[in-house]
Amino acid sequence: MTRLRRDSLHLLGTVAPGALCILVFLVAPSIYLMGMAFLSTDATGLPALPLSVQAFRELAGFGFLGWSPGNLYTLLRSLWQTLLATVLVILIAYPAAYYISIRPARWRPVLLLAVVVPSWTNQVIRSVGWMNLFAPGTPISDLAVLLGITEPRMGLFPSQFAVIVGLVYNFLPFMVLPLYAAFERLDHAQVEAARDLFASPLAVFRHAVLPQTLPGLMAGTVLVAIPAFGMYVVTELLGGGKATMIGNLVAQQFAAASNWPLGAAGALIMILATLLGLWVLRRLGRRLGGDREVVI
Amino acid sequence: MGAQRPDRGRDKASVVVRGVSRVFPGDLRALDRISLEIHAGEFFTLLGPSGCGKTTLLRLLAGLEVPDAGEVEIGGRAMAGVPAHRRSVNTVFQSYALFPHRNVRQNIAFGLEMQRVSPAAIARQVDEIAELIDIGALLERPVDALSGGQRQRVALARALVNEPAVLLLDEPLSALDAGLRSRLQVDLKRLQQRLGMTFVFVTHDQEEAMVMSDRIAVLDEGRIAQVGSPQAIYERPEDVFVARFMGHENLLAVTRHDAGGVETALGRFEGGFAAGTHLLLRPEALTLHADAPPGSSGNGFLARVEECLYRGAATDYRLRCGEVPIAARVTNAGRSQPGVGDTIWVEVAPDSAATLNARRHTG
Amino acid sequence: MKSPLERALRVFWLLLMVFLYAPLVVVVLFSFNSINSSARFAGFSLEWYQRLFSNDVILSALANTALLAVMSTLIAVVIGALLGYGLYRYRARRMAWLIWLIYLPVIMPDIVFGISEMTFFITLERLFGVLSPGLGTMVIAHVTFQVPFVALLIHARLLALDPQLFEAAQDLYARPWQRLRFFLVPVLWPAIMASVLLALTLSIDDFVISFFTAGPDSTTLPIYVWSAIKKGITPEVNAIATLMIGSVFVVALISLLLRRRSLTGRHLQ
Repeated sequence: MTRLRRDSLHLLGTVAPGALCILVFLVAPSIYLMGMAFLSTDATGLPALPLSVQAFRELAGFGFLGWSPGNLYTLLRSLWQTLLATVLVILIAYPAAYYISIRPARWRPVLLLAVVVPSWTNQVIRSVGWMNLFAPGTPISDLAVLLGITEPRMGLFPSQFAVIVGLVYNFLPFMVLPLYAAFERLDHAQVEAARDLFASPLAVFRHAVLPQTLPGLMAGTVLVAIPAFGMYVVTELLGGGKATMIGNLVAQQFAAASNWPLGAAGALIMILATLLGLWVLRRLGRRLGGDREVVI
Repeated sequence: MGAQRPDRGRDKASVVVRGVSRVFPGDLRALDRISLEIHAGEFFTLLGPSGCGKTTLLRLLAGLEVPDAGEVEIGGRAMAGVPAHRRSVNTVFQSYALFPHRNVRQNIAFGLEMQRVSPAAIARQVDEIAELIDIGALLERPVDALSGGQRQRVALARALVNEPAVLLLDEPLSALDAGLRSRLQVDLKRLQQRLGMTFVFVTHDQEEAMVMSDRIAVLDEGRIAQVGSPQAIYERPEDVFVARFMGHENLLAVTRHDAGGVETALGRFEGGFAAGTHLLLRPEALTLHADAPPGSSGNGFLARVEECLYRGAATDYRLRCGEVPIAARVTNAGRSQPGVGDTIWVEVAPDSAATLNARRHTG
Repeated sequence: MKSPLERALRVFWLLLMVFLYAPLVVVVLFSFNSINSSARFAGFSLEWYQRLFSNDVILSALANTALLAVMSTLIAVVIGALLGYGLYRYRARRMAWLIWLIYLPVIMPDIVFGISEMTFFITLERLFGVLSPGLGTMVIAHVTFQVPFVALLIHARLLALDPQLFEAAQDLYARPWQRLRFFLVPVLWPAIMASVLLALTLSIDDFVISFFTAGPDSTTLPIYVWSAIKKGITPEVNAIATLMIGSVFVVALISLLLRRRSLTGRHLQ
């Protein structure tokens, strides 16, 4: 009896501060925010009673001037840009992770670090780098003008192109790390056997390499797609209103537009979409990755 | 109070276990009313298959586990409420559990440091024990650079340096390969004799137990099946479980028992046997003859040789008498031996057979 | 002899390095530009750094960034290490909900995280007059997203340890506080140092959550840069960015050296 009580006190002492911190400063605020989505606005845009679904109507595009598809487009654009960036990240990360895994063992940590270090710098600073490169008059922008991609005297940013580059740049390491871990565990005997069985490298990849690295790929997709969907900084700085995602829409409601319930409704949609995405990716990962649990 | 070392200066102690039980919900490793007496200075072994409770019993002695009922006494002192760090008992763990953040010297010194022994005394005692265990050359190495045998010695030194009243060893040799293992068995036995310290040793290997122990307790599903000297346990096992666990195969069901002998599937054996359900024939106490020698006691039977396994000093025979398989071991002394397919007369020496019971303790 | 695939991969790798480091190199380069342009490099100059260090707003932002990172890291490492230990020690109990709770800050989109805390703090201030937005609320927010990472790191290290080590420490006369001082803390030290580095980088890397929980007097460098670039990129912005990139490279170098030392130390001794 006393042993059990002492254990419980000890458990409380170790776990309670951390659990309380997350409960009070994350769970409670997000519940408060989600509740706010069901309130109406007062004259200043702050939430007020009575309860209403007005915020969701506005989010769906019904305003004073009738229906407009703007918000719906933003949601679709968020999904499209997330998908595009994730696919590009996979295409770049796959050969990169493979290349690291075939280097001599003592070089691998250094090469991994080389991929990861840029992501340790601040998000805003990383975007500043691309703003420098894509500004009007830089060699890259001039090249784009020569190729007829942009108008003369215009930079490559702000544009959707710059946003996609920024997203890929931000999340590349999160795909390289799990893929590299998968490549390091790769059973080379299987690859050799496949090489004997199938002549074409594509078939070898499809039948021997891809199935073995799929768990890493799924883990990487979770790490890239989930935060990419919620991106705020890159779209704001490199998109300049041309590639807004749902995160920007939400943020606007708490700043200039000042409509808290509408912003809260958007945040609620973001949370639900994130949880749904996570659930789908984990299920997919479990089915494709066999018995190995996909670790986030 | 902090500077005092528990039971310091006492180099050996007896251990008494009285009616100890420990139950884990939904787990087999339970102990059921165990009582034991381990004498001071004795090499005592807890022997049994995995899951029999021997490690749990050891952990109860160490104070790493608390009994649900019963009591433990070490050196005449009741241990109820005494936590592990206040018991003058040290353990050599199965995994050795060497601290990865400390080198060999710092590992050995850990116990003395915790008891606030002066640094000079610690250095001297560590050097002494390192010389005794023959690991002086390893002292400044990190523990992850050691081989399995070296780790075992360091774990032993780390426990012994505290001069505990009782040393507990939890399968300390099970991770080592066979050759190293048999060498360390002898080393450990000699060390115990030299120190005169009480050793409580846990193993699932009956040969290891017989080589090393003064006395053995065989455990079966949380109960004690038998306690005795290696010879007693091997030659006079008290039940079928102990006999089988000690490697005996020749167990014949007794069909009739009277004052003059017993009857089994292999016929009648004369002699003053105690009552029992089974008759045990020890394989090395059987003698094989081409024919029934004249004037034999009559305690014998005809069998066919099915297999000969030559082992150098001895040969193991697999015999069959009707449906009953029999194992025999014959010392190779240059005599001509029977071959496979021969029919032979197996002579049972009067003192080589014993009766025993299906299961001594009842649930 | 290199296969064509390997040669192609090598070229690919070099292009990747250009992609990863060009934005950082450009920032550093133009911070030394003698003219106010991010398109043409006219000559080397330290002018922008001099302006930086005479600008009180920037200096206080630098101080705020450092203060925020250090304070939140100290608190988060203590709370997170306790949480990781509790999670390990009582792993037999049903604590799936706790794992979910720990992952929550990790999966929550930054923007939702920041805005919930902002509205929460603003409301608390209006109702009770406590927790007005400022460095205090920023520290709370940072601790909340740092704690899970620390807890998971410590928990992983504990799971990798031999469970009999804990019993060995007890068996060798270590009292509870001695087990903490001479066993648990030293054995976890590499994981604690890794947690400190990770928590520091997480704090310095964060912009969104800081932005929404900051008050008028608690501007940090990223927030300053954010409002400055809304008016256009200047070499001054590049100079601040260079300092922040430099600090990251110092951390990277330290972690590489720590790794090297622990590796060679094992082989040499």
